[in-house]
Amino acid sequence: MRNLRLLAISVSGALGVVGLGVVGLLSGAALAGSPPNSDTINPPVSSCNVTPDTDRSKTPPVATPITKDLLTSGQPCQQNVSTKGLVTSGPGPEMANLQRGFDFYSWLTFIAMNSPADGKVIGQGPRPGGDASTKWEDLQNFRPLADVMLGNGDKPVWGTRNVPDACKPLDGPGKIIFQIGEEAFNQPFKTGPLIDQDGNYALFDILMNKPMFDYIVDNGLYSKQGQQGFGDTVEFPTGSNPGKDPNGNPVPGRMGAIMLKVSYRILDPVKNANLISRFHTVDALIYFPGPPATKQPKACVEKKLGLVGFHVGHKTNFAPQWVWTSFEHVSNAPDATEVASGNLLPRYNFFSALCKPNCPAKNDTPPQPWDPDTSLKFKADYRSQVVREKMIPGFVQQEVTDLNKPFRATLKGSVWENYMLLATQWPSDHASKTDPLGAPAPTYLANTTLETYSQGRVPLASSSCMACHGNATTQHVPATASDFTFILEKAQKAQ
Amino acid sequence: MTDLTRRKMLGVAAAGAVTSLSTSAEAAAPATPPAASPLPNQDDLRAFVALSSVLTGIAVLKLAPTVDPIQVKNQYFDAAKADPAFPTLLQMVRSDPDPKNPVATATKVMNDPKLKFLGRSIILAWYLGAWYDPKNLETYNQPGDHPFPLNPVKVISGTAYTQGWTWRVAQAHPMGYSELRYGYWAEDPLKLDAYIA
Repeated sequence: MRNLRLLAISVSGALGVVGLGVVGLLSGAALAGSPPNSDTINPPVSSCNVTPDTDRSKTPPVATPITKDLLTSGQPCQQNVSTKGLVTSGPGPEMANLQRGFDFYSWLTFIAMNSPADGKVIGQGPRPGGDASTKWEDLQNFRPLADVMLGNGDKPVWGTRNVPDACKPLDGPGKIIFQIGEEAFNQPFKTGPLIDQDGNYALFDILMNKPMFDYIVDNGLYSKQGQQGFGDTVEFPTGSNPGKDPNGNPVPGRMGAIMLKVSYRILDPVKNANLISRFHTVDALIYFPGPPATKQPKACVEKKLGLVGFHVGHKTNFAPQWVWTSFEHVSNAPDATEVASGNLLPRYNFFSALCKPNCPAKNDTPPQPWDPDTSLKFKADYRSQVVREKMIPGFVQQEVTDLNKPFRATLKGSVWENYMLLATQWPSDHASKTDPLGAPAPTYLANTTLETYSQGRVPLASSSCMACHGNATTQHVPATASDFTFILEKAQKAQ
Repeated sequence: MTDLTRRKMLGVAAAGAVTSLSTSAEAAAPATPPAASPLPNQDDLRAFVALSSVLTGIAVLKLAPTVDPIQVKNQYFDAAKADPAFPTLLQMVRSDPDPKNPVATATKVMNDPKLKFLGRSIILAWYLGAWYDPKNLETYNQPGDHPFPLNPVKVISGTAYTQGWTWRVAQAHPMGYSELRYGYWAEDPLKLDAYIA
C-alpha cells in the first residue's frame, strides 16, 4: 500500500514539478496520485476563485490589481501560483513568486470566509464597523470540533445546532455555542493559556468544512471504535481548480478539506465599547461541561468575543501537506523592532508598554493554575506580555507587508481592515520522498495568539504548521498518521 | 577522489557527530540561528555550491534546490568565507576554464596544500553541520599523537545540524529531529539514491 502510494505521489510529483513553472498548477485537473474525488464527500464546486496574483500572459508578468472587485471574487478551491511572477532576479526569484502567489490566495480565502453569511459584501454588514456573522460561523458551512467529536462518540449530524441545557435560558438569535475544553483555553501541547491586558483568558476554537466533516463521518472516524475499525490510510479530500483532463474534457473544481482554528479575546460591551468597531465580534454562549472536561461545574455564560487570530488549513492539489494560512489582529502585539524603537500602538491586546518596571518576561507562560471559571478571568494578577519574534525570512516579511497594505485598503472603514496576513506556509517540494513534510516554506510560522510560546527558529521546538501537524495520529492501535490534523485524536469512545 | 574523501570523512563522522555534542568547551556552540548577514553574491554562491557538490558527492539540486526555503547553503558559504584562504579558493573556481566540469577544479583544490584543508572543512560542514577550522584539520593530519576525536569550532546552527548530509547518507535522521511520518520505523528506509542523486 505504501509503495503504491509513494509511486502515485511521485507520478503526481513529476507532474507537479512541471506544473510549478507552467500550467499544471492552474488547471487543477485531477492527476494520477490525487486522492479519489467522491461526488458525495467532495462535490463539484461551480465557483472556484482562480484569480492569480499576477497576469502571466504578459511579459513580464503584471500584478493583478488589488481592488474592491476582489471582495466578491469568491473562495479559492486551490492556490493558483507560478514560479514566474514579479520577481525576476536576485536570490530565489522562483520561491519569491510562489510565496506571493500563496499569500495572495490566503487573502482571497480570508475575504471569502469572512464575508457575511447572508451573501452580502464583506465589511458592509449591519453591525458596528460593517461587521456581520461570517460564512464560517454559519453551521451550513462549517462545524465546530465539539459538535463533531461528540462526548459519547455519537454520529454527528451536519447543520444541527446543539444547545446544551445550561445554555438554553441564555440562547437567542445569532449566538454561537462555544464549548470549553482544555484546547479552548490552553495552547497546543499544553504550553499555556494566553491572558489579555484585561486579565481574561483568550479562547480558541476549531472548525471544519463539509468535505472534511463528510470524510470523517462516512469513514466512521468520529469515535475511537470507528477509528479502530478503519483499515485504510487517512486521506482527506483535496481542493482543485477547474480544468481539463488529458482528453480535453472539462473537470470541475472541488473545494477539498478545510479546517479553521480561531482565537478570540473577550470584549466587555461597556469597558471595551470603544473597541467593538475594531474587531469582528460574536455573541457567544460559553458552555462549561463540568468535570472531567472542566474543573468548573456545568454552567453557561454569555460573552462578547472579538476575533484576534485566524488559521486556515486547506488541503489542495499539489499540497498534500495542506496549505497553512495565518492572520491576526493588527493590535495583538508589537514585534521586537517596534519594542526597541518605541514605535508602538496606543494599546495592544497582549502587550503593555506601561508595565515597567515589573513587566512579565516576554512570551512567558502564565503561572499555574490554569483553570478558568465562569468569569474567564485569570485568577492571578498577570497579563501576558507578547512580542512577535522574527521567524520568517526578510524577503517574505517584506512581500507580505507589501501585500497587506492594498488588501487592507480595500477593507478600509470596516472591522476587517484591522486584520493582517502573517504569511502562508506551503510545501515547496510536495512530492519529496525523503521529506514527507514537503520542505515547508517558510520553515517557521507562528501566530502570536495561537503559538505564542513556540515562536522562534529552533528546529522542531519552534512553530511550523507542517512540522507539527505532520506528527498527528489517529487513535487507532497501533497509531496511524491522520493526514496533518489533530482533530481525529479528539474522538471519544462510543457508549 | 570524491568517494575516497566521503568514506574517509564518514569514518570520522560518527566520532565527529558525537564530539559535536560533547562537553568540550570548543564544541557544540548553542544551536541558535546565526545572525543575519547580507546575502552572498549569487554567482559566488553558485560556484561554491558547484564545488561543494563535487567535494561531497551530492547532486547540486539536492544541496541547493531551485526552490529552497531552508537556504543552509548561505550559512556554509558564510562559514567558509571567514577563512583567509577562501578568496583564493573562490578565484580558482571562478577561473575554471570548464565550469560545466567542476571535477577538475575540485581536484586542484584538494591537491593544493593551501586550500585542501579548507576543502575538507567545507565537506564536513555539509555533512555534519559543524565548522572545523582548516588549521586544526591540517595539524590533525600531521604525524604524531593528536587528541581524538577532533572537535569542531562550532555547530553552525540548529538548522545546519538537522540538514547534515551524514544523516541522509546513513538513510536515517538526526538525533532529536525527523521529517518522516509516524510509523516510518516499521518500514525499510528509502534507497540512498533517493537522498543524494
